[in-house]
Amino acid sequence: MSENTEERGVPADTEANVVTREPAGVNRREFLATLAAAQGAFVLGFWMPQKADAQTRPGAVWYEEPATPEVNAWIVISPDDTVTIRIAQTELGQGVWTSNAMMVCEELQCDWTKVRPQYASANRDAREKAPEWTLKVPGQGATDPKGGGEPTFANRDPKGVSGIPDSLYRRMRTNAASSVKDGRYYLQLAGAEARERLLLAAAELWSVPVAELTAKNSIIAHASSGRTTTYGQIAHRAAKTPHPHPETITIKSPDQWTLMGTEQKNLDVPLKVTGKTVYGIDVRLPGMKWAAVKTCPVYGGDVKSYDFEAIRKMPGVRSAVQFPIPDPALTRGRVFSGGVAVIADTWYQAKTALDRMPIEWKIPPEHAAFNTANMHETLLAALDQPGRVRVNQGEVEAAFARAAKIVEATYSTPYLPRARMEPGNATVLVSNDRVDIWIGDQSPQETRFSAAKITGIPEQNVHLHLCHLGGGFGRNGNGPQAEHAIMIANANPGVPIHMLWTREEDFIGTTYRAMGAARLKAGLDADGWPIALDVRTAMQGGGFGPEASFDVISRYHVSNYRYSTHAPTFHVPVGTRRGVGQAAHEFYRESFMDELAHVAGRDPYRYRRELLARTNLPYKDDMIKALDMAAEMSGWGTPLPQGKARAIALEERGAEGNGMATISAMVHTVSVSREGKVRLERVDVAHDTGFGLVNPLSVKKQIEGQITWFYNDAMHQASTIADGRIVENNFHAFPISRINEDPPEINIRFFPTGHWLIGMGHDRATSVQSAIGDAIFQITGKRFRDLPYDKHDLRWS
Amino acid sequence: MAFELLVNGTLHTVDADPQTPLLWVIRDYVGLTGTKFSCGIGQCGACTLHVDGRAIRSCSVPATTAIGKPVVTIEGVSPDGRHPIQVAWTELDAPQCGYCQSGMIMSALALLRQRPAPSDADIDAQVTNACRCGTYHRVRKAIHLAADLMKKGVTGTV
Repeated sequence: MSENTEERGVPADTEANVVTREPAGVNRREFLATLAAAQGAFVLGFWMPQKADAQTRPGAVWYEEPATPEVNAWIVISPDDTVTIRIAQTELGQGVWTSNAMMVCEELQCDWTKVRPQYASANRDAREKAPEWTLKVPGQGATDPKGGGEPTFANRDPKGVSGIPDSLYRRMRTNAASSVKDGRYYLQLAGAEARERLLLAAAELWSVPVAELTAKNSIIAHASSGRTTTYGQIAHRAAKTPHPHPETITIKSPDQWTLMGTEQKNLDVPLKVTGKTVYGIDVRLPGMKWAAVKTCPVYGGDVKSYDFEAIRKMPGVRSAVQFPIPDPALTRGRVFSGGVAVIADTWYQAKTALDRMPIEWKIPPEHAAFNTANMHETLLAALDQPGRVRVNQGEVEAAFARAAKIVEATYSTPYLPRARMEPGNATVLVSNDRVDIWIGDQSPQETRFSAAKITGIPEQNVHLHLCHLGGGFGRNGNGPQAEHAIMIANANPGVPIHMLWTREEDFIGTTYRAMGAARLKAGLDADGWPIALDVRTAMQGGGFGPEASFDVISRYHVSNYRYSTHAPTFHVPVGTRRGVGQAAHEFYRESFMDELAHVAGRDPYRYRRELLARTNLPYKDDMIKALDMAAEMSGWGTPLPQGKARAIALEERGAEGNGMATISAMVHTVSVSREGKVRLERVDVAHDTGFGLVNPLSVKKQIEGQITWFYNDAMHQASTIADGRIVENNFHAFPISRINEDPPEINIRFFPTGHWLIGMGHDRATSVQSAIGDAIFQITGKRFRDLPYDKHDLRWS
Repeated sequence: MAFELLVNGTLHTVDADPQTPLLWVIRDYVGLTGTKFSCGIGQCGACTLHVDGRAIRSCSVPATTAIGKPVVTIEGVSPDGRHPIQVAWTELDAPQCGYCQSGMIMSALALLRQRPAPSDADIDAQVTNACRCGTYHRVRKAIHLAADLMKKGVTGTV
C-alpha cells in the first residue's frame, strides 16, 4: 500500500476560502482596536501573545524557548544536565514520546533518567530550513542496518500533507505507523551530531585531541589526564562549536544499540496516572472564552438560519458565529458541513445555550437521499460490473473454465469512525499579525497552513502549542477541528477561543473508514488448490478504499489472478482511520482463505503455509516463520472442548518487497456459548522485529491495543447512514468493548528478520476479524460475511 | 447560586448554575482538569470521580448533589503520584493515550476499597470504563498488582 495513496485525487492547492474580516484600507491594528471598541466588553483587551510560549504549567509539553542555547534543533542541555529532546511527532498513546527520545539518547550518550521530551516548534519549522547534514540518507534505507527509512515527500507540498522536504523538522505528521521508520535515521543522527560537538568543545577547552575523549552517560572523560566534565557544563560551548564535517558522522547499527531495543517505560506515564497531562481540552488561558459548535448533520450542508436572540440572555452567553463549510483544500478534499458556534464564559453554558438555539439547516437533497441500504446496494451492484482492472495475471477466465470447483463469497464492512476518547477541540487566539493555537494535532504543518489561509496571517507567524492527544487513530488535524476553531477565533480577534465539540459533533467531524464490499471468486483444482482468483472490491473512493492490500500481487500463490476495483462517490468524508482500507481488505482476504481451506478439506494453517511457499514473494520465509511460530505457540491442532475453536491469519505489509515490511501472524482462540455469546479467549502473536525494535514494550502495548481495536470492529462497531446523517452519534449507540471482553491471555513473541519495519501502529491484529468469523463457523456452522458479527444470531445447539 | 464543595480535602465556594454537572464544576470552577469529558451521557466513564467514597460518572449528576459530601478526583489520590494504584499503573506501563485513565483509576480504586483482593469477575463487573486504545490487558494486571501493594501496606494518602 502506498503511503501517499490518500493524497491521490486531492485537488491541487487552490486558494483557500479565506474568511476575510479586515475592511480594505484599515490596517490590522486599527481594525482590531475599532472592533474592540465596537464590541465593548466582549473583547477583553489584547492578551500578550508573545508570552504564549511561557504560558506553561505542570504537565504542559509544548515547545518553550530554551533558557540555555540549544546544541542543535533537537537537543537542549541545561547546566543541571537535564536534556530536553524535541519531538516532532505527536504522542497519541503509541509511545513516540519515548521512542523518539530513545533514538536521540542512544547516540547522544546522555543519562536517560535526565531526558525530558518536549514538542518541537511548528513555528520554527516554518521559519528555518533543515540542517544540510540531515538531508541525505546513506545506504539503501531498509536494506542497510545503518540506513534510514527515508520519508516519502514526493513534490514539496506547502500544506505539509506529507511533510516538507527541507523544513527544519521536515515531517511533523504522525500517521501511517511511520514515526520510527521515517524518524530513526534523523533522530540518531541528531543525537550523534550533538555528541560530536560536545566532544569537540571539551577537546578545545582542554587542548587535547578529540579522539582521546570518551562520552558516556552525560560525562566526557579524558583518560590520560583524568579530567572529566558533564554535558551540562560544556553544552553552552558546544552550542557555539560547529562540526567541521557533519557529513562524516555516522549512526549506530542495531548490533551497537544499548538503549534502543530495550523495554523502556513511557516517559509520560507519571503524568497520566496523576491527571496532570495537559491535553488540548485542558488548555486554560487568561480571558479565554468557550465555543460549542453544531454543524449540519448532513455533510455538505450548511446553516440556513439561526436565532441567537432566543438565547442571548442565557447565563454566560456572549455571541454566536456562523462559519462556512471548511475549504476542502484545507481538509484534503473532504467536504464537511457549515455550522454555528455559541460563545460563552464556560463550555457548559455555551453548549446548553446552543442546544436551545433554533437552527435551520440547508441540506443538499441529494445527500439526504443516502442511507446505508441504498449505499450498500450501490456497492453490491458495482461488484457485478468489471470495474477498473488493477492486476491481471495469467488467463483468469480460462482457468475458471477448467476448475474442478468454484467458490465465491461476498463480504461487507461498514463505515467506521475513529471515536477517540477526547472530543475534537482547539484553542485559538488571533491577534495582531499572529495566530496562537493550542491543540493536540497529528498534522501541525497542515494546521499551520490552514491558519494562514483562513486568517491571512503568514505561516511564519502561526504558533502551535502542541498538546498530547486523547487518542488519534487517524491523524487528528485534517478533520475540521482546527479549521472550525480558527474560523471562530478569527471572528473574535484578541480573545482566546476554546472550541470543544460535543461527542455527537465529534461523530460528525471525524473522518470515516469507507464502507466497503468485496466479491472473491476462486477456481480450485481437484486437490483444492486455487488456480484462479478474481477479486472485486467496491469502496467509497478518496480514503484508502479500494487500493489496499490486493493491488500488487496475491499474497497466496495463484497463477491466474485478477483484481479490479470500484470507487463510487458518496457524501461521507472518508479518510485515515486506524488500519485504513487495508484492515477491511485483510478481513476479506483472510476470511476467504478460511473458506477455501474448508472447501478443500485442508487445515487452514497448512493451506496458507503451502500457498505462501509456492510464491516468489521476497519475504515469504518470514511469513511462513510467522505462521509456524503462531501455530506452535497456540498449540494448533490440539483438541479443544466443544464451543471453542482456533483460527489463524497472516498480517503483512510490504510483502511484495518494496524494501520494508512488517509481518505477523496470530492465532485466536474463540469461544461461542450456546446462547451465542462470543469470547476471544486467547491470542498468540508472532511478530517480526526487522533489524530491531526501538522500544519492544511500546510494540507489545500497540499489539494489545490493536487486538481490542479490531475486536471492536469485528464484534460491535458500525456507523450507519439514515437520511444522509450518521446515526450512531454517541457511545450508547456506538459501543466500545470493556475490560470484561478483553482476552484473558495474550502471548507475544518476536522473531528477527533482515529488513527495517514499515511500522506496526495501525495494521496489526486485523486478523481478529476473520478469525472470529471462522471460529463462529467452526462452532455454529454459520458463516457470516458482514461485520460486525454481533448483529447476527450466533446461537447454536 | 453559590455553594460549597469539598474537593480533595479543600473547601471551594462555587458560583454556578446548580444544574451544572459536577464534571464541569470540577473542571471549570474548581480548576482541576484531570477528570475528563468524553461522552457527556454517563456511558464511557472518563469523568469518573469519587463522591462520598463511591465512584460516579460526574458528567451526569448536578454538582449540587455533592454538597456536603467529600469529592475526590485523580489529583487527590496522592500528593506525589505514589499511591499503590499509581505505582502499579506505572509499573505495568498501563496507559496509552491516557485520556480515560483518570476515570479508570478512580473506578479501580473504588473497587479496591470495597474488595481489597478483587477477582477478575469483580473487575469485569465494576471497572466498566471505556478505553479506545485498548489498555485493558495491562489495567487488569495493574489492579491485581495494586491490590498486592496495598495488602503489603504500601499506603498512599486519600
